[in-house]
Amino acid sequence: MGRIQIGILVLLLALSPMAFGQTKSSAAPPPVVDWIALDHKWLDSEKNGDLDYLGKFFADSYVLVLPNGQSYTKKEWLAILRGAEKPTIQFLNPENIQVHNFGNVAILTDHTTIKGHDAKGNSLDGEFNVFRVVIKLDGMWKATGVVMNEDRTKK
Amino acid sequence: MKCTYGFAVTMVFILASGAVALGQAPKKAAVAGEDAAATIAIMDHIWLNAAHNSDTGTLEWLFADDFVEIHPGGFIVNKREQIDQIKDPQLTRNELHPDEIQVRYVSPDVAVLTDVTTIRGMNGGVNYNGKQRVIRVFVKQHGRWRAAGAGIVPIQGQ
Repeated sequence: MGRIQIGILVLLLALSPMAFGQTKSSAAPPPVVDWIALDHKWLDSEKNGDLDYLGKFFADSYVLVLPNGQSYTKKEWLAILRGAEKPTIQFLNPENIQVHNFGNVAILTDHTTIKGHDAKGNSLDGEFNVFRVVIKLDGMWKATGVVMNEDRTKK
Repeated sequence: MKCTYGFAVTMVFILASGAVALGQAPKKAAVAGEDAAATIAIMDHIWLNAAHNSDTGTLEWLFADDFVEIHPGGFIVNKREQIDQIKDPQLTRNELHPDEIQVRYVSPDVAVLTDVTTIRGMNGGVNYNGKQRVIRVFVKQHGRWRAAGAGIVPIQGQ
């Protein structure tokens, strides 16, 4: 083997670690999450009683805190939505949705307007500022927490 | 020539080994034996102790840059606004502590807990006496847990 050939071989092998050391350029970027659509889909499902969706969308760790401080787990809240005491919601709309994305968890804040009544006919109408927590589980975003506060910021 | 060939074979072996070594994916550092739920419960106490003592240095360290908190009445504040409120000399907090801490979700880099926080004090002329139901969110950033946000609601009748 001539010296030139050996030199070429050494040069090629010297360069090969750089090729191996490169990160994968073919890795797909994470999909862009449409947080506004996610929030609307969530509330539309609550309004329309789409319990199949909510059963999948709520993580097992889900907890809902209402404006009076009462809290419900996923099991408790879905039981209310399934039961005879379920509220009737005529209007449920989130606005001014703000997103704080931390990678595998995101916090959404929004201003939610509710029009409706409970099973006894008591009005549920109100304006609320809401803190929503969603976590990424097996590549899917799921709701794990909600805190609702009556909006008194303009009063 | 024999010497040159031997040198080349040695170089080939070393460089080939280097290629294999460099081609390995970096392994994610794991914190062996970390009890994340226990750590998060302690972080909850650190958070409220710092707020109680107006220890803004600890809160700067604890709060993630994109921290967000929603207060009773629906007032939403970011990290800067929350720390400014806590160091406000008009703020009085005679009592501030969490009870009933429940870690609802924990993963290697996310934790969500609920607690009942007792507050006795005034902030901006508003009386905050009473128990509050709170969801707190923590994230692990650059190897340490930080507070990402909190939602707070007064428990009526308490």
